[in-house]
Parts: sequence; structure tokens; C-alpha cells
Amino acid sequence: MSGAHRVKGGLIDRGTKLNFKFNDTRMEGFAGDTLASALLANGQLLVGRSFKYHRPRGILTAGSEEPNALVELRTGAAQEPNTRATVTELFDGLQAKSQNHRGSLNFDMMAVTDFASPFLTAGFYYKTFMWPKAFWEKLYEPIIRKAAGLGSLSMKEDPDSYDKGFLHCDLLVIGAGPSGLMAALTAARSGARVILADEDFLPGGRLNSEVHEVGGDAGSVWATNTVAELASMDNVRVLTRTTVYGAYDHGIYGALERCTDHLKTSEGKPRQILWRVYSKRAVLAAGSTERPIAFGNNDRPGIMLASAVRTYVNRFGVAPGEQMAVFTNNDDGWQTAVDLRAAGVEVIAVIDSRDVDAPMQVPGARHLRGQGIVNTIGRKGVKAVETTGGVTLPVDALAVSGGWNPNVHLTCHQRGRPEWREDINAFVPGGVLPVGMAVAGAANGSMTLAAALAEGQTVAEAQISELGFKPAAADVPEASDEPSKGAAYWHVKESRGRAWLDQQNDVTVKDVKQSFAEGFRSVEHLKRYTTLGMATDQGKTANIPALAIMSELTGKPIQETGTTIFRPPYTPVPIGALGGRSRGKDFRPYRLTPSHKWAEENGASFVNVGNWLRAEWYTQPGEKGWRDSVDREALATRTSVGICDVTTLGKIDIKGKDAGAFLDKVYSNTFSTLKVGRVRYGLMLREDGICYDDGTTARLDDDHYVMTTTTANAVLVYRRLEFARQCLWPGLDVHLISTTDGWAQFAVAGPNSRKLLQKVVDKDFDITNDAFPFMACGKVTVFGGTPARLFRISFSGELAFEIAVPARFGNSMIEGLMKAGEDFDAVPYGTEALGVMRIEKGHCTANELTGQTTAHNIGLGRMVSQKKECIGNVLSQRDELIREDDVKLVGLRPVDRSKSLIAGSHFITKGDAATMANDQGWMTSVAWSPNLGHSVGLGFVKSGDSRKGEVIRAVSPVHGTEMDVEIVSAHFIDPEGERLRG
Amino acid sequence: MAKFKLVSAPPLAGYKENFGSITLHAPKDLAVVNLAVPLGADAKALKAVKTGYGVDLPEPGKSLDTKKGAARLVRLAPDQAFAIFTHATPDAEEAVGKHVKNALYLTDQTDVWTGLEISGAGALAALERVCPIDLHPDAFVVGDAARTVMEHLGVLIIRTGDYSYLLLSASSSAGSFLHMLETSIKNVI
Repeated sequence: MSGAHRVKGGLIDRGTKLNFKFNDTRMEGFAGDTLASALLANGQLLVGRSFKYHRPRGILTAGSEEPNALVELRTGAAQEPNTRATVTELFDGLQAKSQNHRGSLNFDMMAVTDFASPFLTAGFYYKTFMWPKAFWEKLYEPIIRKAAGLGSLSMKEDPDSYDKGFLHCDLLVIGAGPSGLMAALTAARSGARVILADEDFLPGGRLNSEVHEVGGDAGSVWATNTVAELASMDNVRVLTRTTVYGAYDHGIYGALERCTDHLKTSEGKPRQILWRVYSKRAVLAAGSTERPIAFGNNDRPGIMLASAVRTYVNRFGVAPGEQMAVFTNNDDGWQTAVDLRAAGVEVIAVIDSRDVDAPMQVPGARHLRGQGIVNTIGRKGVKAVETTGGVTLPVDALAVSGGWNPNVHLTCHQRGRPEWREDINAFVPGGVLPVGMAVAGAANGSMTLAAALAEGQTVAEAQISELGFKPAAADVPEASDEPSKGAAYWHVKESRGRAWLDQQNDVTVKDVKQSFAEGFRSVEHLKRYTTLGMATDQGKTANIPALAIMSELTGKPIQETGTTIFRPPYTPVPIGALGGRSRGKDFRPYRLTPSHKWAEENGASFVNVGNWLRAEWYTQPGEKGWRDSVDREALATRTSVGICDVTTLGKIDIKGKDAGAFLDKVYSNTFSTLKVGRVRYGLMLREDGICYDDGTTARLDDDHYVMTTTTANAVLVYRRLEFARQCLWPGLDVHLISTTDGWAQFAVAGPNSRKLLQKVVDKDFDITNDAFPFMACGKVTVFGGTPARLFRISFSGELAFEIAVPARFGNSMIEGLMKAGEDFDAVPYGTEALGVMRIEKGHCTANELTGQTTAHNIGLGRMVSQKKECIGNVLSQRDELIREDDVKLVGLRPVDRSKSLIAGSHFITKGDAATMANDQGWMTSVAWSPNLGHSVGLGFVKSGDSRKGEVIRAVSPVHGTEMDVEIVSAHFIDPEGERLRG
Repeated sequence: MAKFKLVSAPPLAGYKENFGSITLHAPKDLAVVNLAVPLGADAKALKAVKTGYGVDLPEPGKSLDTKKGAARLVRLAPDQAFAIFTHATPDAEEAVGKHVKNALYLTDQTDVWTGLEISGAGALAALERVCPIDLHPDAFVVGDAARTVMEHLGVLIIRTGDYSYLLLSASSSAGSFLHMLETSIKNVI
């Protein structure tokens, strides 16, 4: 096909031909075309099928408000459904398919639903598919979804990449039409940092679609020159193809820039960028959207908004038809007839709902005063229209103008409620606007060109004056106030056939009437009952006419009937853009331990612990499963020596002459009395007395402590300490700095741990039991002078140390430790063996410190000092928190030793029914103990400390299991602590 | 074990890549030491810095290159600053101690951080993709420093020249840090 419908003029580049394909047909367009303009140029009026009734549909608009002309763009994995042809920039090689039909676009087998339409009005599904209930999910819904709907997904991974970014400006101007350009120019010339964003690829807004002059030039020329001036200024950033889709708190706006959508391929660059724009002030110059008039069969291909017709004629050099008519309720519609005539298109009539004189002369056209259209004829394209006056007009395209709606959307994003303006029959911005926003031009109800230009300047001047800029003196270019009177005429009451309001959702005037009749009269109910205003266009052309009809039905004025307010996004934002670059492995940052490389080379399997990747076990040849590895590691550690990277535990260096006093306040027990060179276990409480975190803190000097936290709470504890330091006790000389990443720290545990470390720690340092007893600490050097920190602490319950070296030496350090351990058959062990050994020893972790348990529960009630001021100690003494019959931490083992305990099981006293009323507590942690040869567990049991030896039932309804377990000491291994002190 | 020596292997050691107009590299032997100003002893501490480094400690959010100590002092908070300098051995804390004596609390931060310097005419465009703060040349002037978050990573960013920025982030997430900047650069060149 060729461009048979091209007319002279336009802003397209006729020297650059572009080939594209629609369904199976090859077509040709020009650079500067949209897919919609190119389709029209090729005479393709039928573009898709409607959502519900599979009605033939064409192109209604020329902008982002398009409800009908949705296509599947591109092929394969890059296929994107529901792409609006009206804003799709044409490129060479573009491939588009029409959507929502079974069979071809011309012969859609699902079009039969249109004949069943009398039965399928609003509420049909709600009423019909209620019984039997079980059929809904499996039968009804899948069938309905298949029959209705929009485009299809490729079901392949999106091959494109996306990015995000941050922009800052004094003034954000949203929309590059006449008022937006004038606002940007005013602010930019005054020295303000300006961002000008427009969703179109050609800035200028309606100036590119109209024939009005600005300052003696064609409007589009003025726009081009203005954009060129702005683009040349260092303080201006012009973002085309960029939709500002949301207004958020504090002057922050979301904007989607479509970087490569107009290219055949992205060439590895991000397809789209989601910008977060930080503005001090904003001017919303989003223009307005023309609305249709509802009349019988007003949805046929070839029936378009009058302003869209002007856009296609004046900007794209395309005439939608050869013999056309215009149906309008306002002066502006007449301009379409004038422009069509100027382009050489035959206009046979202007049908004006008002009984008024013609505001403009249209040679050769009949003026049908005070009439409307009651019906149209045609199926896949309009062939004729019939008027209320009984006139039948043969046309191949029809332009319809029902007046204009200011694009108030962004003014509503923080619940601003638009207000009705009788003089223009439209809602304008109202209520409280997002902070820093002002509105100019048509978006503010200033509907003529001269008014829009003037308001762009005055609003921008006011905005930047508030920021301290002195507006540069400049004249507003001369332009005319074109005729713009209109009538509140929403639909043709005499219509024959269905009069369509929301063409995207197939909602008719009749549906609104039915909604009213059934009591769904508020606009919110109307929307949900009929689906009006949903999907990709969000009712941009449908909402207000539907509201007006509801107003007629209720007998209340429109402003009392209500209005919907809008939420982001203004137009659809792809999920890919919201995700940005956060995909796959890079979905979130990952943290590696200093010995990660060595662990990888030595068979480690890794587990995510927060953002950390930790070795969970090290598989050796011949091991058949993880248990083989874990059992071996735990046994080898208890019989000789094992090494574990424990760098992930939080480390906070605390310095200052009041560091000890500070620790006394944040820990429940006392640290100011701790001697230099000693370590103490510390328990931190929340203000309400519940356990917060635990760990050991070492005193390396009079004014220097090193705190360790759990891995999970490292950041939270640091933040909590900073709050305490800065806000609770600002009078203390104490300073915090995280050193978690700075030290590669290794647990060296087992009876041979000292012997191993004596080969590592330089001989100047005596680490014998007498010189370096349990809970000792100190600065040492290793391997001939490398600084290190040594702590004699034990999580496993064995004779154990933790040794830390600067992280840069971490990978080398584990090599050195393993080499030093060769004589002892030292093993590396991972988090699983670490877990096994801590359960065997009865040490708590997050399974026990759940945010609901107290020191009293875990048997450390006496650690909570009442002799000092510290966080949580007062409320920890509430009666309910120190009940003797509260749950206590105990050990548990199965009576039948061959059975495996199940974490999460609840305890029931033998003889009682397994009900919540009889709940005696729960199992927190379980492990297979290779040292004991059976399963061991920790758990909370009511009065558990006085029930040792009792057999109770461990019941897990989730697993459907139950077994007898014996309450024992939580210290399965070395209850007297002889090993760790050895 | 006398012969065994620990080998230093910072996460991004030796990294340097040129991407058109942008260069990204990990400065060699970058040492970082935290200086905390004792409560009530501000004057003594500030004097010690002036004596040791020949400059006044800059205001919070500012940094400067010293003359005597060949370090960049970055003031992070009223009572906190970083000294950033080139130093290969694991005794950076002692090195700073020689300058400021015992007038401030010092903590070695060298291994806590990993540094990447991004430079070139396109650096700003690359940073725009990840840095939420305003880096406009007039808003973030040479010497300015700020702590912020980029792609979920805590980052200290310092403008070291007209077209160069030093970024510090946690050493454990160095891989993500590098990926963040490389991706940003590749997306804009």
C-alpha cells in the first residue's frame, strides 16, 4: 500500500521513507510519522477489535489518550502488547499486529459477542457466573479472560535493559506546548535551572497541530525556535519522549523517558529511563484533551476527535477521509472543517448541536444547526451518518468535538480535587495542589493560544520569584484568542444504536443508565460497576461525558455528582522501567566475606544471609549430601579444630572517655567495670524490655571497646547506638564507627585451636591458658608482623578463639590458618555446622531472640541490672514479663532417639488434647547432633526450668507429626564449660 | 609457619578501565582513617589537625587536600572526619596519629571501604543514573563531600576535581559497587 491519503504540508520528512508492516501488509511512511498517522496515510482505518464485543475499531485520537488503536509492537521476546499507535514513533522495519481477535482482523470470529450484546451489559458477569461457586476460578474466569482482554504477552524474558536516574532543577515544566514553552523560556532567561519535559518526540504541543501564528511565525516554527534557544542554554535540559507520570512528595516527580522506542533496536542501551526529578517548583502545562460526544454507533473506524483530525492533516499531512463531516458542540470544532478544506478535503457538512451562526466560514459545507448524529452506517469503516434532522450524509470519516478537558491529572496526585467551571464546561485544578506546583495554559482552563502564552509567562515568573530569581523582562509573543465557545452537550439523546462512552472498555450510555438504575450512582461505584475509565487510557476521553450523563440521571449538577481524581501514572509505565537495572544477580547488592574466593575454590556451598553470601558447608569428595559435610565438620571441630569465617557479625568500634558508661546504658549488664584485655557477653533490650540483640564486647583500651552484633542486626544496632549517642545521651564523650567490613574474622574452635594459633600468632604474644584465659582479648600480630585482634570467645562451646586481621589479608589468612592446621587435620566449617554446635551448646540466635522473648525467657533474667539506668531494664520488670510460669528456654530430645525433632512443633502436656488452650510452648531450633548421635532441640516450655526430666508431646499440625520428647538442659555438650575454659 | 606471609588483596585492587570519555579506577593503596573529635576538646583537636596537616579541618560536607600530610580531609559531621591518603601498609591509624598526636580518637577504616574514582567529561552523566543528590557543578563544587545511597549501597562521594569524583563504599559489596558504576558508564557512553 502507499500513502494514498497524504495531503500537502505537515512536519514530516518526506525525504526519509520508512518501511513497516501492519499484520501481514507492508506499508510505507515518513520520518516524523506515528504508527497511527502512517496507518491512516495508507488508508488503514480498521486497527483493532474492542475489548468486550470485538467491535471493529479505528483511531480515535492523536495522542496518549487513545483508547482504541492498541497494537502488539515488535516480535519475539521484544513484543509489547497494548502499545498506542498514536504515540508510537514510526521507524524503519517496525512490525505491528492488531490485537484482540480470533482469526484475522477483518473476520474476527469473536465478533459474535457483539450480537449477544443485549445480554452482556454492565454487571452481566457479576450476576451470571455466581453459581456454582467452584466453577468461577476453574471454568468461568479462564474462558472470560480468553474471550476478552487486550494484547498478549510473549512469555519470554524482556531482552531490553532499563535504567533509572535522578534530576534536579529549580523549575520543572511539564509539557512543551505554548504555555510550557513560554514558562520554560521565562524561567531559563532568568537564570533558573529548568527541566522541560514533553511526552511527544516533537515539542510544541498543539502548536504542531494547528495553523495559528505566534509572533508572526507559524506556531510550529515558533516552537522549534524556542526549543532551540532553550536547548542551547546551559541551565536548561529539554527532555522529549518523556512523560512526567506522577507528582510525589516534596516536589519530586516521576518521569519516564523513552530512549530507544523509536529505534529498531536498543543497541545495548537502556530502552527507557525512569527519572526521579527533584524540583523546587513546577509548572504543569499539560494542555487539555478533547472529548467526544456519544451518539449511536459512534465507534466506527473513521470517526475521530476533531483535534486529532487537525493533527493528522496539519502535522502529519494525512487526511483521514476524502469526504468528511464535522460534528461539534463548540467553536473549536469548526476549525477542523476549515483546516480540512484548506488541505483539499471535501467537507460536506458541519453539524453543530447549538443553534448558532457559523463562527467560521467553510465553503461548500452545509451547516446543520441545532442537530446531532443519531446513528452511523458502516461496519469496518463509517460510510454515512444520520442526523436528528433526518439528514443522511455519506462520509468516509467524521470529526467529532465535544469540548476540552484540562489535563488536571497531576494536580490530583496528592488528592487535589478538581473544580467545575461552568464557562468552559470542564473541571479545572482545584483543592490543594502538590507542593510547589502551579498550573498554566489549557491545563488550567485557559483555552486559547494567547491566554496560554501569557499565563505560561506569568505563572513561571511567580514561581521563580519565590526562589529569589528576578524574572527577565520579555514580551509575550503576539497570538490570537481563537473562538472557543461551547455548549454542555454530552450525548445525543435521540441516538439509535449503542452510544459509546469508553471505547477501551466497551462502556455505553446504556451501561451508565443501568448503573444508575441499580443504585451504583457515585462516580466510584459507576467506575467499578461498568469498568469505565480503567485500563491503559484511564478514561481520558470517557470519564467526563459519563459523569455528565450520570449528572443528568441524578438531576444534580456535575459538580455535585462528583468527579474521579487521578493517581499515578498518567500513562502506563512498563514494569521493566520500574525495575530498572535491578535484575537477576544484581537485583540487590551482594556482600562477600574476605575468604569467599578460598571458599569457592574449596567446595563451599553458599547461603544468602541478608546480603551476605556465607559458606554453609564445604563438600568433600565422596560426600553424598549436605548432612555428610555438616556432620564431618562438626565432629572434626569438636575432636580437633575447625575454622569458620565469622566476618559477617557486626563490629562497632566504640571510643571515648565515656565509652564504658555509654555501654552500661545500651546493654542490660555492666561494661564500665570490664578490665582492659577482657571480653564480656552483652544482652541488649528494647525500651519495652524485650531482647533486642546480643553479642560480645571486648575492651581493648581504657577508652576503646569493640562490640560485636548479630549478622542480621548489625546495621540496626549501629543505628540504635547512634540515636542513643546523639539524642539520648549527647553529653557523653563516645564515638562510634562500623568496622564490620574492616576485619576478616575467623573462629578457630576445637581442642587443638590454641596449638594451631600458636603457629600463627607471633611468638611475642603468649596465648597459653594462663596468659590468655577464656574471655581474654588483645591486639597481636600474626605471620610475622601483620596486626590482628585476638578474642578468646566460643560460640561452639569448645576451646575457641576468634582472630581478626585487616580484611585485605582475609583470603590469605584462611590459607595460612589451614596450612597451620594441617598437623591437626583442621577443617573449614560453614554456617550449618556452626548452627549444630551452638544448638548442642544451648546458645541463642534469632530463632530464640525473636523480638517477643525476654531475658527471663532465655534464662538470663539476672543479667538485667536494676542498679543502673539502661534501655529496657524498667519495663523488663513488668509483672507479665517475669512470671515464674512463663516459657523458659530448655533443651529437648526425642524419647525415641531415632526420630528427628521438628522446629516449630508445639508442646502439649501428656494426656492433654492438642489444642491452643493446652499449648505449653514451642520448639525453636533443631539439629542432628553427630556428637550425640541423635536429634537435639531447643525450645521454650512453660516453667521449663523446673520441668527437666518430664516427657511431653511435640505436636506439629503443619507436618502432621507428633512425638514424645524429654525436657533436658539446653547444654547438651559440656554443661560445666570445662572445654571452653581448657 | 615462619615463612608464610599474608598477602594483601583488596577487593578492587588494580582495577582501571577507560570507557570513552570516562575513566574508572580503584586508587592504589587508598587508606582511610576516621578522626573523632572528643567532646569538649574541640579546640585542642582542631589545633592538632592544623598543626599536623597545616590546614583547618573543613566544615561538614567539605573536604580539602592538605599540604603537610598529603591527605584529603573530609569532614563528615561536626565531630567526625576522614583522612584519606595513599598508604600501603596496615598501619594507617598510626600514620595519622603522628600528625594529630592523641588529640582525636582514630580508627582505621582502610579495609572497611573500597574506593573508585570516576573521571572525565561524561562522569556526571553516569553518576546521574545512580546518585540521588544534586551534583550540578554549581551545587556540588570541587571539594564537596556527601554521604548518600546509590543502588542500595551506602556511598561517600567527594568531588575531587572539575570532572572527577572519588566514591567510597563498603568493601564487602565491592562487586556490586563496581557493577553499579560500570553499568552507569556503559549506559551513557
